[in-house]
Amino acid sequence: MSEPLLRVDDVARHYTMRRGLFGRPTEVRAVDGVSFSIGRGETLGIVGESGSGKSTTGRVVLGLEDPDRGSVAFDGAALPPIGTPAWRGLRARMQMIFQDPLGALDRRLPIATQVREPLDIHGLGEPTARDARVVDLLDRVGLSADHGRRFPHELSGGQRQRAVLARALATAPDFLVCDEPISALDVSIQAQVVNLLTDLQAELGLAMLFVSHDLRVVRQVSRRVAVMYLGRIVEEGDADDLFAAPAHPYTRALVSAAPTPGRRMVDRVVLQGDPPDPADRPSGCSFHPRCPVAASRCRIEDPALVELGGGRRAACLFAAPGADAPSRKVA
Amino acid sequence: MLRHLLFRGLRALLTVALVVTFAFVVLRLSADPALIILGPEASPEMIAAFRKSWGLDEPIWVQYVDYFRAILRGELGRSMRDGRPAIELVAERIPATLALTLPALALKLGVGVPAGIWASLHRGTVIDRAVMAMAVAGFTVPSFVLGLVLVLIFSVRLGWLPSGGQDTWVHAVLPIVTMGVGGAAALARFTRSAMLEVLGQPYIRTASAKGVPWARVIRDHALPNAAIPTVTIVGFMVGTLIAGAVVVESVFSWPGVGRLLVVAVANRDLAVVQCILLLVAATMVCSNLLVDFLYGFLDPRLRQGARAGAH
Amino acid sequence: MADVSLAPPRRALLARLRPPRLPIAVALALAWVVAMVLIAIFADRIAPHGYTTLDLKNRLAGPGNPVHWLGTDELGRDVLSRLVASIRVSLAIAFGATVISAVVGTTLGFLAAHFRGAVEQAVLMLADFQASMPFLIMALSVLAFFGNSLPLLIGLMGLYGWERYARIARGLAVSAGAQGYAAAVRQLGATPARVYGRHILPNIASTLIVSATLVFPEVILMESGLSFLGLGVQPPMTSLGNMVGWGREYLTRAPWILLAPSITIVLTTLAVSILGDGLRDRLDPTLR
Repeated sequence: MSEPLLRVDDVARHYTMRRGLFGRPTEVRAVDGVSFSIGRGETLGIVGESGSGKSTTGRVVLGLEDPDRGSVAFDGAALPPIGTPAWRGLRARMQMIFQDPLGALDRRLPIATQVREPLDIHGLGEPTARDARVVDLLDRVGLSADHGRRFPHELSGGQRQRAVLARALATAPDFLVCDEPISALDVSIQAQVVNLLTDLQAELGLAMLFVSHDLRVVRQVSRRVAVMYLGRIVEEGDADDLFAAPAHPYTRALVSAAPTPGRRMVDRVVLQGDPPDPADRPSGCSFHPRCPVAASRCRIEDPALVELGGGRRAACLFAAPGADAPSRKVA
Repeated sequence: MLRHLLFRGLRALLTVALVVTFAFVVLRLSADPALIILGPEASPEMIAAFRKSWGLDEPIWVQYVDYFRAILRGELGRSMRDGRPAIELVAERIPATLALTLPALALKLGVGVPAGIWASLHRGTVIDRAVMAMAVAGFTVPSFVLGLVLVLIFSVRLGWLPSGGQDTWVHAVLPIVTMGVGGAAALARFTRSAMLEVLGQPYIRTASAKGVPWARVIRDHALPNAAIPTVTIVGFMVGTLIAGAVVVESVFSWPGVGRLLVVAVANRDLAVVQCILLLVAATMVCSNLLVDFLYGFLDPRLRQGARAGAH
Repeated sequence: MADVSLAPPRRALLARLRPPRLPIAVALALAWVVAMVLIAIFADRIAPHGYTTLDLKNRLAGPGNPVHWLGTDELGRDVLSRLVASIRVSLAIAFGATVISAVVGTTLGFLAAHFRGAVEQAVLMLADFQASMPFLIMALSVLAFFGNSLPLLIGLMGLYGWERYARIARGLAVSAGAQGYAAAVRQLGATPARVYGRHILPNIASTLIVSATLVFPEVILMESGLSFLGLGVQPPMTSLGNMVGWGREYLTRAPWILLAPSITIVLTTLAVSILGDGLRDRLDPTLR
């Protein structure tokens, strides 16, 4: 087995928050002990609700934030400190696609200039050849040279995201983090951008970390998926297997809630309780207040991520792939 | 509430300390005071004696500490011209300045605020435009020009009012008007904006839609809410009363603190300048504190917030 | 994925050639400012006489005099020539001071936004301090302690209003940096200098320029006030405030000596204010 491109080891990231002006500071554990690895050309999808810490994970993995615990290794080497020239140079190999393409672009500059910027920053290729490369990049994401002359606000949402993609690919990176790249787009456009991503991935051999709350998209793009809840991975495994036979009660609920065309929704698991608040984690298993199969043990024991065989891991005392949810709940 | 005030008080003290430091730094950075005061012909012994009596031969941080201690004791030096304590000189001029600035402040409030409110209630009409035009005029005409023009008209051509000096109360009319007009204009403009912003809020429309008479809406809803930002501006004006007096007192040869400052600067009379600087800082800080205090009463949100937070 | 349709090229070109229609007040203000700038630049060539040239036979001549269109002062110096020279000095000082304070303020604002923490607190505290102390008093203190010279005066005036630029620059840089294009470019590997210079600064330039046009007339008024008190520009150099100060003696006998510069001060301040308001309405209605 070759060395994975990205290895994340027990990474944690917390923020300190004050409740009101006179309250005591509370620690918000956005990411609380996450480990995974991504091989070259491989795509890992991360799914979760808001507050699950998936966006923060993406930022830490890319080196945009320092983890408070654990380590991130890219291509065998630890990430350089943020803001150093080494860190800046490494940007050419790892890039990010954002949720809001309009915000990620400078509204004063035409698209082509912005796509060209990484080439200027890292000094790639002869200055005269850079414009040709920009045209090539635009073409690859499905934009014309005419689009390149326009300003961000003159393009549609889908076109803007393509432009951001072109800019991210300019330096031929090895690794791409996509943080909810299609959530802000119209549904009809989402499919096109997703297809573009999968095509590019196959073409360029990109490794990707695809973060989203939309299961169907994640399933289409990723080979492996990790499900996050309150800063931890609660289940991880092959994408198709995981969605066909989820092991963790949370994953089961998510999967059952996602509508599949041509099939009526059956066995829909509805979660009780409030959405997770990272500033106020429950004791024991963090999912137990909402879990349909929670037992009294779950309030005390915090389950670790355990191998279930077949490349699947889950963090639940009752985890079993494809198991039906027991209907009774032990108080 | 108390904690809030304490915090503000600390900040105020910090500001005063900054001003004192500023004065000290500027004082020491400038050319050797001894040479300035004694002049180039002074003998080396005179210079040495002067430096000793003023403590200018100590290391700089010792001077700073001494300086601070002296200020706290109220020793602000002596005027370099006639040797009298600077505080005395300044103190005896304060009443004259107050005789101008207080009526001027009343004028600013009494004319500016109603004009601004009036303009905001008749937005877009001739009244509004007239008030705004006068406000702009008040802002662009510097006080010395206004003062001199008023003298030209009322004193020289019409002979109604005297042009300078401090003999009778009539002498105060032109200076007060000159001082008041600029501030009235600024207040009118500001009050108008504040009122317009409040009047555009949904709760005003709701009150009016509920059938509350318009006059009541203005009195009970609009005015109190517009008062809050206005209080800040008025506080600022109070804090800068002396600054406004400087030019006007010079134009009308009025023997107040402002005029004293100009003369002291021209004569490089450092003790007096420093004393007035501290006086201005103190005035400003006090007025800011007062404004903060008033805010606590006027703005119920602040009252609530403090109470909810303190357990 | 339809393209955003553009206006036919011909129509767009014609629209750009036609000058924008200006409200009459703004047009007049613009005309005045342009006239003042031209006078300032070509002062030497416009002035009929030297501004220190004495004409003792024609002392205190009134305006309308064939040789001295605006009259003369007590030493027979031509008021028009002195006015022209004063315009140059006052505008030069105001312009220089505005540029200095804009540069200083913006730089400090960027530093505060970039480094956050202690640096930001220090800058904000200084800004608060500057905003609350009356500038006139501080200026007078500095002039008392340091004496008077033109470079000092310009430097001093250059501190007028820096805190406004600093607050704007810091606020906009922070909001640009948190989400959005600055973070995205930094994430591309750009150096901070590039981020601030090529992206943030051009995007906030219009707001800064509007602020500058609002500060500029205040600088003129401040410098005039100082010069009027005899503590600003020193003779033999002459500025607008200076002329008013010296002309005060002859208020009764020869009011034109101080009226000419006074009117100029008022009109120039008014014109720049109107331009500033017009610019603000066009570029950045969010600024109050």
